[in-house]
Amino acid sequence: MAAVAVHQFAECITCHAWSPDQSMVAFCPNNSEVHIYKLFGEKWEKMHVLSKHDQIVCGIDWSLKSNKLVTVSHDRNSYVWSQEGTEWVPTLVILRLNRAALCVQWSPKENKFAVGSGAKSICICYYEQENNWWVSKLIRKRHESSVTNVAWHPDNILLATTSTDGKCRVFSTYIKGVDSKESESSSSDLKFGEQIAQLDLSVTWAFGVRWSPSGSILAYAGHNSMIHFIDDVKSNPSAQSIPLRDLPLRDLLFLSDRVVVGVGFDCNPMIFTADDTGLWSFTKFLDQRKAAPSSSRGSQLSEAFGKLYGTSKQVPSNDTVEPSKTRGGAHENCITCIVPLWKRGNTTLCRFSTSGLDGKVVIWELDIPK
Amino acid sequence: MEAEEEYLEAEENLEAIITRIEHKSRKIETLLKQSKPVDALKTALEGSALKTRDERCKSANWIVVHRAVMAIKDVDGMISSLDPEYYDILMKYLYRGLATGDRPTCDQCLRIHEKLTEKAGLGCILRSLSDTVNTV
Repeated sequence: MAAVAVHQFAECITCHAWSPDQSMVAFCPNNSEVHIYKLFGEKWEKMHVLSKHDQIVCGIDWSLKSNKLVTVSHDRNSYVWSQEGTEWVPTLVILRLNRAALCVQWSPKENKFAVGSGAKSICICYYEQENNWWVSKLIRKRHESSVTNVAWHPDNILLATTSTDGKCRVFSTYIKGVDSKESESSSSDLKFGEQIAQLDLSVTWAFGVRWSPSGSILAYAGHNSMIHFIDDVKSNPSAQSIPLRDLPLRDLLFLSDRVVVGVGFDCNPMIFTADDTGLWSFTKFLDQRKAAPSSSRGSQLSEAFGKLYGTSKQVPSNDTVEPSKTRGGAHENCITCIVPLWKRGNTTLCRFSTSGLDGKVVIWELDIPK
Repeated sequence: MEAEEEYLEAEENLEAIITRIEHKSRKIETLLKQSKPVDALKTALEGSALKTRDERCKSANWIVVHRAVMAIKDVDGMISSLDPEYYDILMKYLYRGLATGDRPTCDQCLRIHEKLTEKAGLGCILRSLSDTVNTV
């Protein structure tokens, strides 16, 4: 069993983030607040409740170096929280959106953050020292529908987005004064809001876009139970689309350039690996279930299929007792968020946490072969 | 101007598609006479023009697939010898069959649906339901 720890925090968790030293976790329990819990030995204590938003907080990110929390909400606002003593002090960021904000992520250098919204636009926010506030620049073109996820390239300039119009796009977010000119990028890419690439691989909603640690591979999940891997997006894109056996994924995480973890409606993290030639394939489910895979669908699903086929389907005895969805795994409901947990000094990632609609935060640890 | 050209090009393609389907139909009749229902189904599913929006082509292909589907007696055997690349297309045709409401068609489609889901998983159903571009 690869799940190292399971914590039940609430009825349902929208999203979560960890503090730089991984002693505190911030999450939204499906309302307009952000709760921060700290681990004291074996017990979790609620330390702070941040309640500035009016509607559900759908995105939280905690910057590792500058220790700032950024939250975005359906109320079209964003706050950057800094810890002063024992209090968290919010700074309102005026995003200039007329629809809900859906996701947020700090850039690798933590001088910018990107917000995806239902207004078919992305906000790139940076700190202006003279006026002591965060400025938001919008990328309004190109998207035909809500932006579900954003992902920063390690170079701090390229941003990949997935949208409910099924496409994955890569933009340049170069801001004069904030980003320095890198010698590798060609000057034509540097214009803010310029679309570098558009990927039309999915006909259905796209979620969970991520760059690999080296920035050479892009991956995202389609709502039609497919996962797409694209190599070398900038110059010569080559794509691989893998159809999944079961339900769609909602979020992804690269553990290395060769290993990806996908989480979604199966309530069980899936590992994908690339072989030496760069060919990706599904390797295994992370969670070992108590029941055998073919009968682990749960009584609800077997019953439904039984009614469909007009026969009294043989329901396995261990399922008949509970109508609930417990299938013996760590998560009982859809996993919506996956966050990396870097160990100091390690270059490869082998720990991460997932949170889902069942209100649990589960920490997983793996041995990654080099 | 461009739209018109596209339309004319599509027209020619439609004729080519209809001819191909007629070709397939004859091949399937031969295979069925030789008691090879699985090969007949594979032939029916092969080369289905999913991207076309023309209803006649889709109906023509459906008739051919329907003929092959109804001739299957050994569902388990058929599923195990079918290439995985055909799972998604077959699932789409099964849903079309279930939508007809015709009792014998629905019974057969339901029988195959059960086995195909066991083999291919829920992802197959999801792909057939969510794909609005490649329809049957």
